[in-house]
Amino acid sequence: MLSDDQVNEIIINVENVPPGVQNHRSSNLSVPAKSGVNSSFGMVSSVSGIDVKDPHVYSRRNDRKAKQLLRFSPLNESFSQTHHSPDLVDMDTPCTSHESIQGRQKLIASLIPMASRDRIKAIRNQPRTMEEKRKLRRMVDREKSKQSRRIFELNCCTQCLNSISLAYRRCKNILSELLNSISLWQKTLKIIGGKFGTSVLSYFNFLRWLLKFNIFSFIVTFSFITIPQFTVGGNNALQFTGLEFFTGAGYFTDTVMYYGFYTNSTIRHQSGGASYDMQLAYIFTVAACLVICFFSLLFSMARYFRNNFINPHIYSRGIAKLIFCWDFTITHEKAVKLKQKNLSTEIRENLSEILQENIKLTLSQQLTHLSVHLVAWVVSTGVAIACCVAVYYLAENNLEFLKSHQNPGAVLLLPFVVSCINLAVPRFYSMFGLVEHFEVPRQEVYVLLIRNIFLKISIIGILCYYWLHNVALAGEECWETLIGQEIYRLLLMDFVFSLADSFLGEFLRRIIGMQFITSLGLQEFDIARNVLELIYAQTLVWIGTFFCPLLPFIQMITLFIMFYVKNISLMMNFQPPSKAWRASQMMTFFIFLLFFPSFTGVLCTLAITIWRLKPSADCGPFRGLPFFIHSIYSWIDTLSKSPSYLWVVWIYRNLIGSVHFFFILTLIVLIITYLYWQITEGRKIMIRLLHEQIINEGKDKMFLIEKLTKLQDTERRANPSSLTLERTDVEEPAPLHSREHEAAHDLRFRRSVQENSPKA
Amino acid sequence: MELFYRYQDLAPQLVPLDYTSCPDVKVPYELIGTMPELKDNPFRLRIAQVFSEDGDGHMTLNNFLDMFSVMSEMAPRDLKAYYAFKIYDFNNDDYICMWDLEQTVTKLTRGELSAEEVSLVCEKVLDEADGDHDGRLSLEDFQNMILRAPDFLSTFHIRI
Repeated sequence: MLSDDQVNEIIINVENVPPGVQNHRSSNLSVPAKSGVNSSFGMVSSVSGIDVKDPHVYSRRNDRKAKQLLRFSPLNESFSQTHHSPDLVDMDTPCTSHESIQGRQKLIASLIPMASRDRIKAIRNQPRTMEEKRKLRRMVDREKSKQSRRIFELNCCTQCLNSISLAYRRCKNILSELLNSISLWQKTLKIIGGKFGTSVLSYFNFLRWLLKFNIFSFIVTFSFITIPQFTVGGNNALQFTGLEFFTGAGYFTDTVMYYGFYTNSTIRHQSGGASYDMQLAYIFTVAACLVICFFSLLFSMARYFRNNFINPHIYSRGIAKLIFCWDFTITHEKAVKLKQKNLSTEIRENLSEILQENIKLTLSQQLTHLSVHLVAWVVSTGVAIACCVAVYYLAENNLEFLKSHQNPGAVLLLPFVVSCINLAVPRFYSMFGLVEHFEVPRQEVYVLLIRNIFLKISIIGILCYYWLHNVALAGEECWETLIGQEIYRLLLMDFVFSLADSFLGEFLRRIIGMQFITSLGLQEFDIARNVLELIYAQTLVWIGTFFCPLLPFIQMITLFIMFYVKNISLMMNFQPPSKAWRASQMMTFFIFLLFFPSFTGVLCTLAITIWRLKPSADCGPFRGLPFFIHSIYSWIDTLSKSPSYLWVVWIYRNLIGSVHFFFILTLIVLIITYLYWQITEGRKIMIRLLHEQIINEGKDKMFLIEKLTKLQDTERRANPSSLTLERTDVEEPAPLHSREHEAAHDLRFRRSVQENSPKA
Repeated sequence: MELFYRYQDLAPQLVPLDYTSCPDVKVPYELIGTMPELKDNPFRLRIAQVFSEDGDGHMTLNNFLDMFSVMSEMAPRDLKAYYAFKIYDFNNDDYICMWDLEQTVTKLTRGELSAEEVSLVCEKVLDEADGDHDGRLSLEDFQNMILRAPDFLSTFHIRI
């Protein structure tokens, strides 16, 4: 994928070629033997930036241009070496030469005072060809150098800064090129996008993004916790059987995989050498992972919100969007044909909806629909709560069950039941769609998503409650390791079920759809369900990192395998989606879901663990402490004894530990939020007023044009014999429009540059 | 420079490897239309015409770079909206009128819709998007409508 930076690099590289050599000989239609002149009117014509390629008008306009050449000769001096053919000859600037010169000079004048980065951005945003942009940049640079010759003293510093910034930008370009080249799965994603479109691609992009999170967490935890632990290895006396991969118990209990294995000592290699406090390292590493995930989620969410805000007021039927948002990334012939067929179907459906829109529902019909919705919501919530209660009782009785049955595989019962619930209940929810009727089809997707996420989050919630309430307080030795093992089993069972679903379930569905009940056809990739599964797994990983530090590594491997499995299954068993799927709005919603119930739930759980629970007495880095948080308290106490670290103690006592600070901070944040909200309301009113103004101006324009044509008619009728008048009259109305909107275009591009400069 | 090699691959006998002498080379539309990224796109002719020098679809290296730079992920929304508008403006009169819309819809649906359905669709589009009610879409109307379609940035994108 070529970034604009890289393209700019190409421009820079080509520009370093000696300028006299860089010429584009004009096309065969250009005015012959006027190469020097070509450059000038190429420059002039580059102003309005509109190219109307109308060959039969070319000759007429060219004549007019030839007359204007002499006016532009003074400008020729400044452009000594560059020859430029009118590759985008503007056909509709016959009479606006003065305005175009002025327009260009205004453009240059507005570009000169900008900082160089903003200038480059503004030039890049201009809708002109590269030749013109290069030209513009050269002109601006020349003008600027003329001006800055007077300011000689600043040259030293600014040159230094300029060279530094140039070097920095070059480094950044090289780095981004490198990252792009090693970017994972680039080609595969391109193929998926080409065959199935942007919507299915968004699922795979989401998977890749979560993989990056896990890679980062793994690197951090491995380097700061696991490697030091390796240096202080313990002995593992247990036997290794193959069942450990599924149960996570047995041999693995006494490895670096679980919390219980980590030492609580301060690791010292040479006497008097650097010491490494394992307790602090553990808690700070986990905290650092979570903090960076938090900020990364926050920034992604903010970026998505800014670009794709889900504004319920602006919902329109969307036929215009269907027509103009054709997916240019689709490149396979069959996929294109299929998409065209689907588009036709969707347009027809849309049309019929519009025609039916005027049919109002009677009161009794509305009441029926409302009651059906209510019943559906009650049933879905009831099912979710019933599942939670079942899971809780199973978990509680699991302990006695385990004690009575000695089979080590029996621990897999609970994860099995949870995975079955996660498999069956969402499909049950989808069946509600047959009964419920939604006016807006998008609502159906959102309602389904909310029900599913409610189910999944409540199951995780009830399990967390069980772990923190029952397991932690039950007096088992090493309860943290037990929780870690439970989470590991849940994750693994979920992974096994997904694999089985992809290999068996989807394969069977394809066979049924193709051979037996051919009317069903191939199935479509259910993006929502798959993304929710990813979110569910990621939530478990975040909770489990504290109890099982190698969990990000396991999730990394899982995601890696899932990518390939889903890819193969997609190619074999699925067809492209038939309905338009608003990928960017959905991604915003998914990232919001990842942040709000999922990540905040994880933070709450871990906060309760760290502040309220008692660590187990003889395993893990926090053994013997009354609470986990006491490790930090004792660290602060030791620091307060040494004089060089008193500032840390001060920050801790007065900023982090003090209530007043947070109170004031909250107050400030609330005030800022309120102000921003008021500003947004004001802007909404402004938008409405401006919209009305546009409509009014359109009406004014129509009115004036009608009046003008009426006047011309009356004039023509008054002088029927003068043919010359007729001819100029005939010419008048056509360029009137073009002249009008050229001026408007000039204004717009000038305005856009001015807008960009205060923005930048 | 990967783009340059792609351009060169299209017509190896026409395009020299050494561009320092800046030869005047144009790859004809027929070869551009065989690129795997473009060959099945219903709008490939319009794309080539919009970005080419004389509007005939034959592209020089600069036009080629222009095209892929605008269609890349990093191009700003306004720039993409401007070029999308030009692609859909079949008669190059700087407005998307009824005829342009009919052409677009026909290309998109490839004859699946009947003529009256096509005109009905075009009417509905004008109803929705025409802000100043002059019976055709100007660039501002188009940009306004694109603002409400956040998918536009990701769909108006050709991966290379």
